[in-house]
Amino acid sequence: MASAFGDGAEGPFVLAVPSKGRLQESAAVFFARAGLELVQGRGARDYRGSLAGVPSVEVAFVSSAEIVSQLAAGAAHFGVAGEDLVREKVPDVEARLELLSPLGFGHANVVVAAPRAWIDVRSMADLDDVASAYRAKRGERMRVATKYVNLTRRFFAEHGVADYRIVESLGATEGAPASGAAELIVDITTTGATLAANALKALDDGVILRSQATLVASLAAPWGENARAAARDILARIAASEEARRSREVRARLPSPAHLIVETACERFGAVSATGEDAGPHGFVALHCARGKVAELAGWLLAKGAERVSVVALEQAFDARNALYEALEKRISPGQR
Amino acid sequence: MTPTLLAPTPADPASQASRSAGERALGHFLEAGFERTEPPILHPAAIFLDMSGEEVRRRLFLTASASGEELCLRPEYTIPVCRAYLASDKAGGIAEYSYLGPVFRAQAGHSGERTQTGLESFGRRDAEAADAEIFALALEAATAAGGVPLAARLGDAGLFDRLLDALTVPEAWRRRLRRGVARGRGLEAIFNRPSQGALAQPGVLAALESADHAGAKALVEDLLAIAGIDAVGGRSAGEIADRFLEQASLRSGEPIEAEKRAVLEAFLAISGDPDEAAVELRRLADSARLDLGSALDAFERRNGFIAARGGAIDETRFSAAFVRDFDYYTGFVFEALDPGCPGAKTALSGGRYDGLAKRLGATDDIPAVGAAITLDRLANGGER
Repeated sequence: MASAFGDGAEGPFVLAVPSKGRLQESAAVFFARAGLELVQGRGARDYRGSLAGVPSVEVAFVSSAEIVSQLAAGAAHFGVAGEDLVREKVPDVEARLELLSPLGFGHANVVVAAPRAWIDVRSMADLDDVASAYRAKRGERMRVATKYVNLTRRFFAEHGVADYRIVESLGATEGAPASGAAELIVDITTTGATLAANALKALDDGVILRSQATLVASLAAPWGENARAAARDILARIAASEEARRSREVRARLPSPAHLIVETACERFGAVSATGEDAGPHGFVALHCARGKVAELAGWLLAKGAERVSVVALEQAFDARNALYEALEKRISPGQR
Repeated sequence: MTPTLLAPTPADPASQASRSAGERALGHFLEAGFERTEPPILHPAAIFLDMSGEEVRRRLFLTASASGEELCLRPEYTIPVCRAYLASDKAGGIAEYSYLGPVFRAQAGHSGERTQTGLESFGRRDAEAADAEIFALALEAATAAGGVPLAARLGDAGLFDRLLDALTVPEAWRRRLRRGVARGRGLEAIFNRPSQGALAQPGVLAALESADHAGAKALVEDLLAIAGIDAVGGRSAGEIADRFLEQASLRSGEPIEAEKRAVLEAFLAISGDPDEAAVELRRLADSARLDLGSALDAFERRNGFIAARGGAIDETRFSAAFVRDFDYYTGFVFEALDPGCPGAKTALSGGRYDGLAKRLGATDDIPAVGAAITLDRLANGGER
């Protein structure tokens, strides 16, 4: 099907990344590790850039909130965003976005926290009880300060808590109970230190979301051939660098029948042969194996008759199967080609 | 000049049908002496959030005033009409209103604008007669508008509350019961709260076994002092102590005795023809030696008034388990839908809400009963 703009008029593939702060640094490191260097335009105020080595990709440096809204609107194909923001800001996330891969940084939990003085309140069920008693006694609902209005509403509904009111708070939420602006908060926390400093505690079952930075694809973006090719390329590289980080290459020369030893090694240690099923005529093999199992595998190979086993760190490990892209391709409707 | 920009949007045939059906219903209300009113469309969002809880937020069309106050388009008429009544010089006295116009509720796959018509009666002291009149007028109007008699379901929050009084159910369980039943949960699910184990803090509760309020409060204050916790936020040490006491008292054995629970079970199972239900309710009250007194008398009186009006009701069934999860609904509740349309949504709903005026700032409760018809939920979107 031709795009609305006519064939050949496909715009660039847009990758939206955070424009400042620790998230930007971590994202740059993450992409660089995959051989994808984010190149910012000249001048500190240039918010468009490119991806070294992948033509036809435009990098947009924008705020986290903007990344999420661009993804939802289909103005960006890929974006790096905290899962908390994605789930808070986008209604019907599963239908509009594909959360491709957690990125391993920007960890934080969205939690329900109450004053520590409420020693009778430990769980959401306690909160339900207390909230309804509070309303019955005062004729007002208990107030919850948060910027996560939607996450809070969904989570409270799941736990059957109804007697509360949300007070939107766009900064220093943790101070709301002390200042009398609210009784409870729902906020993001990494260590809990800020909660403790404000005489608050997270409820035992009050973790709404364990969030981290996530690579997100927009299903609403125009997925023409170029965009698909760019996505496939970027995801192959990310997968290759992630696989390389997780694995080590284990090399050895094995006695005959080497292919049987390889087969058993793959089964027992979850390894993958980098050189195919058949060992070469001299019994040289290379196996990719999870880092944690390398020593065990090496010992086992020695026992099987290898004289020397070497373990090599990998830079990238590309696989014919591009699982990340396959997951995405299933979600992009063919009509958008 | 760009006259096309000024041209009115082409009328949506469905909403036009709703409008003309609405005119027919409204005519019915006007004839009965219910003065037409058109309250403002914009209201402080906090009012609806306070009354209905955060769950309605996702349904509200929110906006803000120039000074930053959070406003919403009215999602229904009852609260706006009640506010207008309270602001008028008739506040506290008898006043009866009808309305026809748009209400706004965000909904996937729908513009969010719907036409509602309805009526509200304030200040009448002959509650059961007023209940019956509003119920009958609303059903007649809906029939006039949609062309098909609706099937109605009645409930009575007053009876339910009276039963809980008579059974001396502890306060904490009254709240849970009323809310659980309103959400259509069975007694089993309401009483077997999975959290009961997690709730218990055996050490504290054991220490409180024979304590009174003052003793419990002192204990809580000691606990806080030992832990070095400043009292922050909302609830006092006394309130925390009271909750511990309540838990301690509930800890021993069942939340309510098996005998009372059986009565509750039997009560909630009563449904069917309203007159037969009244007989069953009396029988239940007698056999359990419970005084449902004035609540049951009122129920029977109301049934009498409804029967006397006769009228355009295809089927009326009472259900003891039909209560609403709004504390300002204090008595009679009803809803109705098109029986010929499988999966039809409630097209008409209403009830007695004596508690609303006070919640909106009046010094005392004011008797009030009303009903609303959502026109596009009548047969053929209200088209005859």
